[in-house]
Order: sequence, then structure tokens, then C-alpha cells
Amino acid sequence: MITNPVASPTAVARQWFLARSDLDALIQALRKAGRTVIGPTVRDGAIVNDEIQSAADLPAGVRDEQSAGQYRLAERADERVFGYTVGPTPWKRFTFPPILPIATAHRSGSFGFEQPKTVAPQLAFLGVRACEIAALGMQDRVFLGSPFTDEDFRARRKAALIVAVQCTTSSSTCFCSSMGTGPEVRTGYDILLTEIDEGFVIQAGSPAGAAIVAHLPTRQPTHAETGAAVDVVEAVRTQIGETLPIAGIDQRLKRQLDNPRWGVVAERCVECGNCTMSCPTCFCTSVTERSDMEGRISVTERLWDSCFDINFAKVAGGDFRARPRDRYRQWLTHKFSSWMDQFGSFGCVGCGRCITWCPVRIDVREELQAIAPVIQPIERPVAVEPVAASPGSYSIARLASVREETGDTTTLSLTDLDPAFLSGRPGQFVMVALPAFPAVPISISRFRANGIDLTIRAVGATSTALANLHPGAKVGLRGPLGTFWPIEDAYGRHAMVVAGGVGLAPLRGLVEALVANRDRFESVSLYYGSRTPEDQLFSDDLVAWSASKAIDVAVTVDRAGPEWKGRVGVVTTLFDMMSCDCSKITAFVVGPERMMQASVQSLISKGVPTERINVSLERHMECGIGLCGHCQTGPYFVCKDGPVFRLSELGDLYAREGI
Amino acid sequence: MASTGKAVRPRVAVAKFASCDGCQLTLLDLEDQLLEIVSRFDVVEFPEATSHHSPGPYDVVFVEGSISAPEHLDQIKALRKQARVLVTIGACATAGGIQALRNWADHDAYRAAVYEHPEWVESLAMATAVSDHVKVDAELRGCPIDGGQLLELLTSVLVGRRPQIREEVVCRECKRKGIVCMVVASGEACMGPVTNSGCNALCPTYGRGCYGCFGPRTGANAKSWSAGLMRSGRPPEEVWRLFAGFTGYAEPFRSVLTELGKAKG
Repeated sequence: MITNPVASPTAVARQWFLARSDLDALIQALRKAGRTVIGPTVRDGAIVNDEIQSAADLPAGVRDEQSAGQYRLAERADERVFGYTVGPTPWKRFTFPPILPIATAHRSGSFGFEQPKTVAPQLAFLGVRACEIAALGMQDRVFLGSPFTDEDFRARRKAALIVAVQCTTSSSTCFCSSMGTGPEVRTGYDILLTEIDEGFVIQAGSPAGAAIVAHLPTRQPTHAETGAAVDVVEAVRTQIGETLPIAGIDQRLKRQLDNPRWGVVAERCVECGNCTMSCPTCFCTSVTERSDMEGRISVTERLWDSCFDINFAKVAGGDFRARPRDRYRQWLTHKFSSWMDQFGSFGCVGCGRCITWCPVRIDVREELQAIAPVIQPIERPVAVEPVAASPGSYSIARLASVREETGDTTTLSLTDLDPAFLSGRPGQFVMVALPAFPAVPISISRFRANGIDLTIRAVGATSTALANLHPGAKVGLRGPLGTFWPIEDAYGRHAMVVAGGVGLAPLRGLVEALVANRDRFESVSLYYGSRTPEDQLFSDDLVAWSASKAIDVAVTVDRAGPEWKGRVGVVTTLFDMMSCDCSKITAFVVGPERMMQASVQSLISKGVPTERINVSLERHMECGIGLCGHCQTGPYFVCKDGPVFRLSELGDLYAREGI
Repeated sequence: MASTGKAVRPRVAVAKFASCDGCQLTLLDLEDQLLEIVSRFDVVEFPEATSHHSPGPYDVVFVEGSISAPEHLDQIKALRKQARVLVTIGACATAGGIQALRNWADHDAYRAAVYEHPEWVESLAMATAVSDHVKVDAELRGCPIDGGQLLELLTSVLVGRRPQIREEVVCRECKRKGIVCMVVASGEACMGPVTNSGCNALCPTYGRGCYGCFGPRTGANAKSWSAGLMRSGRPPEEVWRLFAGFTGYAEPFRSVLTELGKAKG
């Protein structure tokens, strides 16, 4: 709800031109109308908003240079008056005073509380930018948009005339175009100025504004002048660009409440609250009492406060936001997420003050991108049409060779099979059957030119029978089935393969694909843990991969005899060796359930986005095509919708007991 | 504890240890309120104002100065026994003050450098805050303390509520006053982001960075701020001096100084 008069379509149609040398006429007209003019002026090395007596007080020929934690004034080559961006003073200072007496109380003679009545000064705000108009609107919704209103704010807001100015320059800290608040002023003003070479193109946005403009020594602008006024704003829009991918940030942040980056930024943050105090929308306050020595008369004052204050969420029994990271998260998630839930917009207008005025140079844009990055959803390529899909029909393959991997694990190399199997992708599986034995799902552990490998741990009747076959034997196959490793998710990133025990089998094809396309990835690494050295799969491959420079291989075992010279410990202990930016990791994880859970937990705590953690689930499967219901996990049939999932797809379902 | 007459006026004592007496003078500087204060409090012991002495017990004892000499050790314990409420006032009493700079130095060498007859001077190797020795009920920070906060503390004693003394950084007061942050706008060295408010941003109001005389705000991120000061090009020696000023021996400034001491060797 905007209480200020806003532009109507008819009012904005008319434009005037005011020479720069006549700008003082505007200020004097406003003063003559009984208004105190608040506008930009140079004080203490900055362009602040303060009382203006005449055009001589304005920052003609001054510009500002802003970056994270730094603000400097410099000379302009011209005499432009509004050739700067936004300074340290938010307009809320004049609609929402930093210190405001809100009640007096007395208990001498009578007992009572009184609320002082606001006598709002008639102000004119000169030089209000698009982002700042948006900010006033945001505070309108906070203070006036619910059944409980702030009448002091209402009175001050209503008494302020807005003389807006189009931005004709930008700072590195500006991101209004990302927030959709600027740079162009479109509404919410009484008078709008666009500064061009010789002066100003003026529009009136309300009757009050038009009445002021009528007193000015204006003339009709030329086409060149109105054209220049349009171009200058467009040029700024291009300059600022859309640097912050804001769409959906409110929802993205909600999924990142446990992101470890909150702790990292909190180590830098000194909780000075400069961000919240210079923010044009932040509205937190505290009250404090002052009284005479006996407490007979007291005054309650409302002070600008900050959610970074260490006592802000304290109660007698403790503190709900005790850690700096809690307070930083509170601020950032309020601005970019929960404000949306409460007031229907972001709580940020992109003015960049919180960046410029942060003495430790924290840039909210960087933090948002690190904490809740946009993960471009990558379409899964379509899998090859499976052969003999229906549960009763099988395609026949011949066993070419058998290789014993460990005491209970065997690799079967199949050949003479339907070419569709050769077009399968790492991570997919096949249903394997022998006459008289129930079919079992087996992951494909290698794709060869003329066949596939299946690595089988002999744990049941079928797998034991398969492991005991001799070359030349025939088996029935259905497949390839299920989803596969989204190798494209790791393009340009650190590809990290984490395997436990026989979990290396469904990953071997992936590792080979990663090595074959090595230059597409920032790095490729394999972390492999097994119970003992004797339980290691694919020992020859491990040696060959280690020897190649394409992939970093780290191996560990849970326990080992004295002849073992390698590492001992669970696989997660290897993660401490990682030295890369974990937010740039794409991980592929398979192993025993507990090992996967520990690995996933460790990766999340290191900052790997859940969208970039891929797991392969093992479930009871009989049909392999989503018809029998055995493998259902939440909304998914693991055989058809999996077995490979992004962790973000599984969400709360992952590792949840009894699902 | 609303006062009903002179008969129940709380007995107030002002005591001092190693200090300059400036904080005691803040009480005398409350000129407009002085008559009301003495009509509501029985100020029985106040060396800066009167040579009259009166033994305890006292309702409120204001203690100025750090514990710096051997005899202070027993005196402060004795004083605590006489005090219903003990309030430390000023940077010396609450943090050790500038005397505590010797805590990082060779005490004997300092003494020999300053005094012709160092053997006549009895002082402790460390100057420490009163709270390192006895329980303290409230503290007023600053060098010197703020008159408004002192008045608020006296008022809270009479009204029977907690003193309304905010635990916030100086930056908060700066922003409310509309002072341009000089760290950002001119690269000034300022301790505001880690220093407790209460001075109404006195130094920044006059264009100087905060000297940190009110001491660290509870939970101050001194480590990040010392890194921030160095990142803006200040050598460790300068950052050491900024933190060491008035309240350097209070944590977490103390830890920062210890680290910086290692850095500058």
C-alpha cells in the first residue's frame, strides 16, 4: 500500500525542461510551499541527505566511487548535480527516525501513559532514486500493510513530497536491476527529474508535484532532450546488468539453512550492524526507558536496532540466536526469503549500501551465490530403449570369461548380446536370469566394444549360481534399465567418485568415462574404501588409474594386517585431503548404506550442494520396470526412477528410517 | 527501593585504586543533578570531594582504578565485604586501563626506566581489572565514564530496576546520529565495530576514529576486525596500538594482542 500520491498515466505524459542554472528555482518553490528540503550534500567525505537551503548546497561536479567496504568522492568532468549513486543516508531516516520518543509515563499524582502525537514536518525529499522509492514502498507494507500500523510513520510518509531523480550513473555495488526495483523510476514520485547535459527533463507524478512544476521557469523539451533522457537511463541499466540470479532465491535459501557457509561468513562479520542501519528497508527497533531518579516520570524511546545485536533474540532463559552465524542467517534469509512470506516482496532493493558500508567488505551478492547458488537443472539424456523389457522375456547372452575379484565377488564378461546393451550408460543395471532361478538386478560394471561386464557378489542363490558359471554358458538378460550417472553435471567442476566395497562396481564405468573425457572436468578423483585390502575390487584398475595423471586415487581400508602400507580408516577420513572449493564438487557415491550416509553427510557439511551429490540406491527389485512395487521409496520406484538419484531429489527421504 | 526520605538514603562510597580520578570527577561533573543526587544518596566516602571518611558497610560502592600495587589485593577484598552493590567505573577498574600495557612488557625494566629509585616503588607486575579479584555487580565503561550512564545507574538503584545500559557496538550510535562511517569513507582507523557503546559515539562525532575506551562489546569479533584493519594496509604494530589503548587487557582484545605480539615479534 503506497500512501504517497503516485503517478497517474495522464500526469506523466507531460514533460518540461529546466536548465541546470534554474535548479535553485525548484528548491525555492518547495521551500515557498512550506517544505523543508532534504537533499544530497557533501559532508564528511560522502554525499549525505540533509537539509538543503539552495542549489549551492548540492554536490555539483561530484561523483562517488563505491566498492565493498569502500566509498570515496571524486571530481566529475562536468557540473552534473546528481552524478552520483546512493550515499550512506537512507530516506527512512526521515520517515522512520532513528530515535523516537513513543510514550511518556507518570505515577506522580495520577498514573498513566501518554503517546506523543506526531507533528510530521512538511519535507521534500530531493534526489530519491528508483531503488529508494521501492524501499519506501517496502516500509509502507511493513508499517501500514497490516491491521496494526505505525501512525508516526504514516504521518511522516504522508507529509513528504518525493522529488525523484533518474540514475545516470551506477556503482559496482548497485544491483537494482537484479531486484527489479530500478534503475528507472516509474512510479511513486511527485516530481521526476532526469539530468541531461544542459539541465533536467521534468515530469510531474501528482497534483502536488504539478503545482510546484508550474512555478518553475521551464520550457518545452526538444526531441533531442527527451530522447537523451530515455537513453541515459537505458545506458545505466546496461551498465548495472543483472549480476545476481534472484529468481527463486527465497526458496533456494530455505533449503540451505544448514549450509556451512553461514559459519564462514560469520567469522568475518563483526556484527557492527552497518548493513542494517544503512539499509533503506530494515525496520528493527528496541525501546529503552529513561526516567527521573525516582521513576515518577519516564520516557520510552524507540531506537533503530539491528538483528545483529547480541541481545536481540534473548529471553531470560537464554538466547535463540546465540551464535553469530545464527544472526547472519537471520538477516540474509529475512531480506531474501522470509520477507517474501511476510510482505509479498523481497526485503532488498539492491541499493548496495550493505556492501559499501560493510567495514569487513562482505558482499551479500557473493554470499547469496555461495550459499544458495542457482543450479541449472540438467535434463537427463534419454536412456536407450531396454531390450526384452517385460518380466517374462529375456535376450540371451554368452559368458565370454570369468574373473575372480575377491573371495566372494566375481566379474562375468558377457558377449554375443543385443547391441542395445552396449548403448547403456554407467550406473544402469540389467536383470539377469538363469532357468529355474529368480532374476536378479546386477549393475553393469564395464562397457566393452563387444559386450558388458557384470560384477556379482555371491550372496544369494542366483548370484551364487551365476558366479559358478563357466565360459560359454548362456544367461538371460533384460535391460539396460534405470537411470545413469549424470556425468554432464560435473562438466567444468570437480568430479568426485566415492565408493565403498562392491559399490565400486556400478562406478567403474563412470570412472572410465570421466577419464576418457578428462579435459571436461576441473579435476577427477576417486575415494575408495573397503573393509580389508583383500576386499578391494578391480585392483589392477586401481593401480592403472593411480599411475595415470588423469585421476587422483585415494584408497583406504577399515582394517589391515601389517603388510598393508596404505591408509586405514573409513572413507570419509580421506575427504580431509580435499583442497578444492567444495561448492564446485559434483559427487557420485555408492557403497553400503551406512558408508553412503556418512559420506553424504560429510560432503554436505563441506558445502557440496545437494543438487550435485548423486547416489545409487540398492533396493529389493523383481520386475526392474516399476510394476511390482518392491522398490518403492517415497514417490519413486528405484528401478525405474533410479537407481541413480540426485540427493536433492530424495530430500528428506534419504536415509530416513522405515521408508 | 523507592526513597521516602533522608532516613533511608542509600550510603554511597567512592573508592579508587590505580587511576587518574577522572571517573570520580564525572560524578562531580553532573552539576545539574548533583543536589538531587546528594539529597537521595548519602555520599559518605568520596576522596575526590571530601576528606571526611566513614566506615562501611555501604549500599553502593563505586570503584575506580585497576589493581596495580600489592596493598590493593587486600584492600579490594575488604571493600567488597563492605559493599552491598559494587560497581566498577572506568577503563582501569573494568579492564586494567592503560596501566595494563605493562602486562605485555618487562615490569622491572619499565620501573627502572621511569623512577630514579625503582626499589622504592611497590607495584605488581600486572595491572588487572577489579573483576579479576572480587565479584562485581555492575560496571560502567569508558575513559572516563559517561555521566548519563552514571546517572542511569544511580536512578536504577533508586527505582529498583536493571540499569538501561545497552550492550551494542559504537557503530550503532554512529548510525543513529547520522555520522558517515569514516572507516569506509576515508579509511580512518576506528575501533567502533568491536567497542561497546555508551559514549554516544563521542570521538566519531568529532571526526576521530573510536579509541575503544569503552572496551570490547560482549562477543566482539576482534579477530576479524584486526584482520580487517591489516587488510586495509595497516602494519601489525599499528593494529597492536589500536587494540592496546585503554582496554587491551580485556578479552577478546587481549587474545588479539597476544597474536599480534607474535606477528610483530
